[in-house]
Amino acid sequence: MSPLFFIFGPMVLAALVALYGKKRDTIVKFVSLALFVWMLIYALELLAILPDSGYLDLGSYLAVKDFGFELTLQVDHLSVVMLILTSVLLILVALSSWTMKRTSTYFALLILFAGPITGVFMSTDLLWFFIFWELTLVPMYFLVGIWGAEGRIYAAVKFFLYTHVASMLILLAFFLVYKETGTMNMTLVRESMLASPVLIWWLLFIGFSVKMPIFPFHTWLPDAHVQAPAPISVLLAGVLLKMGAYAMIRMVVLMLPGQSAHFAWVILALGLITLFYAGFMALYETHLKKMVAYSSISHMGLVTVAIATLSYSGLSAALFEMIGHALIISPLFLIAGFLHHRTGSWQMGDMGGLMQKAPYLSAIFVLAGLAALGLPGTIGFVGELTILIAAIKSYGFWLILIALGSMIGAGYIIWTFRRVIYGEISQTVRKSDFRMDHVEFAALVIFAVLIVFFGLFPSTLFDVINAAFAPIAAQGGL
Amino acid sequence: MTTLVLVLLILPIIGALIAFTSGLKKNALAFWTAEVTGTLLFLITLILLVDYKDPIDIPMRWFEFGSFSIPFGIYIDKLSLVMLLIATGLGLLDIHFAHDYMGEDPHQPRYYAKVLFFIGGMILLVSAKDMVGLFVGWEFMGLASYLLISFWHQQKDPADAGVSAFLFTRFGDIFLFAAIGLLFYLTGTLDMVKLNELSQAGKLDEEMMFVIAVFIFIAAIGKSGQFPLFPWLMRAMEGPTTVSALIHGATMVNSGIYIVARLFDFYAAAEALMVVATVGALSAFIGATSALVQRELKKVLAYSTMSHLSIAFVGLGVGSLAAGMTHLVNHAIFKALLFLGVGAVIMSAHHVKDMWRLGGLGKKLTWVALFMGMGVLSLSGIPPFSGFFSKDAVIAEAILNPGSAGLIATLVTIAGLLSMAYIGRLWLLTFAGEPRDKGLFGKVTRPSAFWIVLPLGIMAVMTLLMGFFQEHIAEMVSNGPFEEPHVAGLFFGLMSGIVLLALIIYYYYVKRPDLTEKIAAQPLIKTIHSILFNGYYIEKMIFWFAHNVIIESFAKTSHWVDQHIIDAAVNGMIGLSQRITHIFGYTHSGRVGDNSGAMTLGLLLLLAAMLTGGAV
Repeated sequence: MSPLFFIFGPMVLAALVALYGKKRDTIVKFVSLALFVWMLIYALELLAILPDSGYLDLGSYLAVKDFGFELTLQVDHLSVVMLILTSVLLILVALSSWTMKRTSTYFALLILFAGPITGVFMSTDLLWFFIFWELTLVPMYFLVGIWGAEGRIYAAVKFFLYTHVASMLILLAFFLVYKETGTMNMTLVRESMLASPVLIWWLLFIGFSVKMPIFPFHTWLPDAHVQAPAPISVLLAGVLLKMGAYAMIRMVVLMLPGQSAHFAWVILALGLITLFYAGFMALYETHLKKMVAYSSISHMGLVTVAIATLSYSGLSAALFEMIGHALIISPLFLIAGFLHHRTGSWQMGDMGGLMQKAPYLSAIFVLAGLAALGLPGTIGFVGELTILIAAIKSYGFWLILIALGSMIGAGYIIWTFRRVIYGEISQTVRKSDFRMDHVEFAALVIFAVLIVFFGLFPSTLFDVINAAFAPIAAQGGL
Repeated sequence: MTTLVLVLLILPIIGALIAFTSGLKKNALAFWTAEVTGTLLFLITLILLVDYKDPIDIPMRWFEFGSFSIPFGIYIDKLSLVMLLIATGLGLLDIHFAHDYMGEDPHQPRYYAKVLFFIGGMILLVSAKDMVGLFVGWEFMGLASYLLISFWHQQKDPADAGVSAFLFTRFGDIFLFAAIGLLFYLTGTLDMVKLNELSQAGKLDEEMMFVIAVFIFIAAIGKSGQFPLFPWLMRAMEGPTTVSALIHGATMVNSGIYIVARLFDFYAAAEALMVVATVGALSAFIGATSALVQRELKKVLAYSTMSHLSIAFVGLGVGSLAAGMTHLVNHAIFKALLFLGVGAVIMSAHHVKDMWRLGGLGKKLTWVALFMGMGVLSLSGIPPFSGFFSKDAVIAEAILNPGSAGLIATLVTIAGLLSMAYIGRLWLLTFAGEPRDKGLFGKVTRPSAFWIVLPLGIMAVMTLLMGFFQEHIAEMVSNGPFEEPHVAGLFFGLMSGIVLLALIIYYYYVKRPDLTEKIAAQPLIKTIHSILFNGYYIEKMIFWFAHNVIIESFAKTSHWVDQHIIDAAVNGMIGLSQRITHIFGYTHSGRVGDNSGAMTLGLLLLLAAMLTGGAV
């Protein structure tokens, strides 16, 4: 199957769904589910035929001869891991949106999102990468703008402003790269060893920092998350943020290794600040979904610290934690959104005693929360342990500071349990109905199973993840 | 052998799953699953003990990331076996006891699943070869204790107690976590046996070793409820009494001592043992004095646990692995006995825990009184009960070691003597004299012989018999010949002190209760009483710090910065951009789609212009 099908096919499919999907909700839902499952199968196929070390060329298309500008598609283990993660999350997002209103439009937008995101992870051409990068935002705007909560316009404008300013920086950087090297191909850029990339490095770093997000470019995220419907929060945290981290690894660390080594301390410092700052924010927060959002930012700080090690082990740990973060934070967002939907309140003070009313839902919330604070047996612990070891190896013993971060995590998570799950049953909880759609609940169960499975058997993931950086490490690039 | 060990590790998890799922509707099924699993675990441990020749050593790898590999091996030597016997043996008796104690509870599947998970965590902890495995077991227990302490989560106090337990122990745990990172950095290995060898060979940086040893000890302080991380242990009394017995006897609090014992050579080489002894002596004193004035049965026992674990820590700290560990073993048995005994009393007295409402129960609960009495004698250190030998050994070792002969030996001796006072007071107020609450006394029921009294009897006999096998235990835990320390006049001094204290409390609490009230009304006594009663206000201080420094300073400042500096700047830019877009008039609707469309279009135009420009 041509990769182009997965990049441009969804656009056609989305149009079809939008035009003919009205009043055919069930068909629409199954069609999108089928597409996402197909994407997953395709990604797994790619993994199977991928050589142990190196790339798989998927061809070049749409060449504009004079400028060396063409749609070059290439995958390595890093891209394939991201593709698998994305397709799994898309499947789970589709399941979680089973009872969403205005079904056909919603699912058309989800399908529309699947195309460019595939393009982002496959493209090795900077310009096409950028085009896909921007195109992912279009369905996102509508999904937040139409299905969002009361303050969605403000959140969407803020999101728009942040990401577009960031995009301009990225685009400018790409032009500078083109001016310096005469090519837009990432692999060629890396090999050409740019002579004066300081400005380029900063432009790219700040541009991608916004998406990850890293302090001080993070304030769009809590607003966007709060206003977005719960499944779209999953997409934001699980896919869009990961796109930023992916780009940070691929285009900052791996494409500009010299400058990254020079400015590693910047990445490290901002990562640590993000870890603690967002942790303290979460500790102070009484708004359930904002608490989850800050917890998400805090974990991305941890990913940033891991990236800052610029080492084989550190980058593997970062990629693992990215997956862990997606699996952990998604059920938290879904449950937070569901609780708001049913109780009409965001305030943790209004809740309490949920365990008595909805024990299974509470149990999954507790499991995901424990994973967020890094309890062994969950994927969160493996991420924290590997990052701690890699960071100490690269920067010395004072990085045991990271351990303190997981204490703050324990603080806000356990205190959230106390306020929402345990304790005496509150009036709001007593009078609300927490029966959940079975398909939506199944999505939560799958998240829970994945959290525990990869927590107990992390080698299933690390086998693939290590292969993402092993070839570069073998060449002495890390 | 290997298979048996793996079964031992996996069985609790399987049992927990069965108890939880198959028992969803039937409480009895959940109990029997737990009872059978507990029995099997104990039998397997016995087989391992009988067949023991050399340490069972199974190196395994968990996963590899980048260029590192994380080990997850199994190592069971005699020290581990002793801990396993305690965990599975006392765990089994605890499950058995719960048949009646938790018999009325509608959520038994959940209860037994968590109990099995708890025991499983302890088994993993003591069987681990590497620090990572130990940490996993360590955290499993932390989680299980959190869930069990707040088992009655519908109520405010147990829910709060769970939070306290998790966060206090977690604070210690992050130091253990950091220590793992440091050890990996420093030595490249997490194998605890190898760490002991490496440190003895003098191949490690001494300052770093000291830091790591202290970090690990902070984790031990958290888990074993030592100063200053003990308040969670007292709050944990909100959980079911069987859970308290499990935490204080079979599992959780022992793990702190175990980790120091496991890394004993490392601690000796790092010269960190004196830190252990000092904190231990201080905690022993605080625990013993606070236990003197508690009103609740379980709180007395909780403070006494703190104090007695400290005595074990002092034993280790003054350099005697044998003395410290035997005291831990003896303590585990008599403390489980006392907790379950108190559980029987509470159950019979319709969940009244206030000692001042009991009294005279010896007439109705004769066997419970008798067996608890044996536990009392063991705890206060009266021969031939086991508690005497180890406590005596620790005090003697503390006096003999020149580093601890002064303050540490004094504090630990005081704590040792005061045991008689607080535990005697508990027993007398509960069982002796006249009932103070006649109405309650009339309603007291008799406990079942098989489910309640039998486990008490077994433990009472154990605590007596163990007194005759002290040397064997000492040799097992320290892997070498054991020489009993001897200090001239110590035995006579301790005994006369204990007898004197026993007479005083008998007179004070039984013969002249009127005197008690008069003395307690004195202002100075009142002040001292309230300091002791509140555990020296350590909990208040920690809460003050957490609230005022962490939340109100750090977190609030972050919040302020976010709102008034970072977000304010962004909002300013949004205002500016809206004014600019207004000029173009196209996007004044504020619809994001229009905005993004226009922006993307602009960017594409710009792109085209630059590209063609570049080409021309």
